[in-house]
Amino acid sequence: MENSSEDYKIQSFDMDTQKLLKTALKDPGSVNLEKVSNVLVDQSLKDPFFSKEAGRICFTIVQAEAKQNNGAVFRRHLLNRLQQEFKQREETRKRSLQEWVCYVTFICNIFDYLKVNNMPMVALVPPVYDCLVRLAQPDALLNEEEVDCLVLQLHRIGEQLEKVNGQRMDELFFLLRDGFLLQEGLTSMARLLLLEILEFRAGGWMLSSTAHKYYYSEISE
Amino acid sequence: MSNRHRAARIGDLKHGSSGPSRWSQCRKRGIDGSLRSHSDEDIDDSRHSSFTTPESAGPVSRCGRQSDWGSQVEDEEMRRGVHRDMQRYRRRILAAEGSQRERKVSSGSSGSSCDSRDGESIETDEAVLMRRQKQISYGKNTLAYDRYIKEVPKHMRQPGVHPKTPNKFRKYSRRSWDQQIKLWRVKLHAWDPPAEDSQENTLSGNIEELDLEDIVDIELDFPTLADCQNAPSSLQVPRSSAQDQDCFATPVKVQKTEEPDVA
Repeated sequence: MENSSEDYKIQSFDMDTQKLLKTALKDPGSVNLEKVSNVLVDQSLKDPFFSKEAGRICFTIVQAEAKQNNGAVFRRHLLNRLQQEFKQREETRKRSLQEWVCYVTFICNIFDYLKVNNMPMVALVPPVYDCLVRLAQPDALLNEEEVDCLVLQLHRIGEQLEKVNGQRMDELFFLLRDGFLLQEGLTSMARLLLLEILEFRAGGWMLSSTAHKYYYSEISE
Repeated sequence: MSNRHRAARIGDLKHGSSGPSRWSQCRKRGIDGSLRSHSDEDIDDSRHSSFTTPESAGPVSRCGRQSDWGSQVEDEEMRRGVHRDMQRYRRRILAAEGSQRERKVSSGSSGSSCDSRDGESIETDEAVLMRRQKQISYGKNTLAYDRYIKEVPKHMRQPGVHPKTPNKFRKYSRRSWDQQIKLWRVKLHAWDPPAEDSQENTLSGNIEELDLEDIVDIELDFPTLADCQNAPSSLQVPRSSAQDQDCFATPVKVQKTEEPDVA
């Protein structure tokens, strides 16, 4: 079940790394957790699929470490590495759109999975918003890849984010409305995604069944 | 599909440059129809002010807040833990008070014990609680502590014999508190692993000079709250909620050996 799906994700690593990760999941105290965090972040930045799911592995390691020795070494290294990447996000974006999108996906995934007493980590709220706001800028809206990432993240964590800081969500949605309405050069796909997320939030982070039908079933002309 | 709509709107809106301001000028209402306020900006801070006591007018301490995310999250975790502990502690005091009243317990120390469990005597200053929690965490994050809790199950621990974690929710002077922590750490050192392990030597070295008498005094002077905990089962204090935390099983009145101004 859970383990097998994690195994599956882990298979994209070389043998040594696989072994490292497997040990980290079972006996985190016995491995270099800084190295583990770096391996996971590096892979997330390379692999779009992995970046969407890495949160779960991180969550499992965090749990295992807390259980084993009440420690949070892995989380500390993970977050600090994320912060380091955050500082150079603009360069990353210039260098590689995919890596940038992977970064945003990953940090949002971490935000979604790692909680402190079942609450989102406050420290991640501003940077996550900063990333999403960046994706909502006119130049980013022109890239379907970035729009796609933006709406996916909002689908996943929008509601949580709004609860923690509603004002920033309002500001983000000002941008999205403007983008949807006014920006020249958007593909119709990008517009469709924006419209859907606007409706999604307007419906209390849910799509009505008719809206769902509209967006997700084949159009019968 | 929405082109029609879009064309119509753009005519109206083309006057400004981009940015949220245009929209926000005409749409200031939230989903519920009421005007948007900007007051909900910092959940974090509002929780803060309600959490600290009014008299702590000093800077809102983040307890050595650091800029790296790892430390921020750790602080956050501790703050939430302290807050949760405090709620438990209050519930617990209420429960103990209730049963105390029923049983009409009155002993010589009842006077002081009563006022010592008044709501106001609980330490609520977040900065203080965080600082204390940090000290406790350091103590617990030792091999000795692990060995101690493994070797001596909770119900076997005896006041005066075994170390008890100081109660961070009691009002103590800084000095009194620090002293309690010291003594607690000293006692914990009895469970140090046999050989090697020299990292804590400096601490124990400092403290070894303390009078044994002090320690005994402190542990023997052991009134109410702890009594409730160790009292017969008729008291029915919700044990389960206290199992994972030790703040109730702590000496209540340690000031005795300290300066009197706290009493």
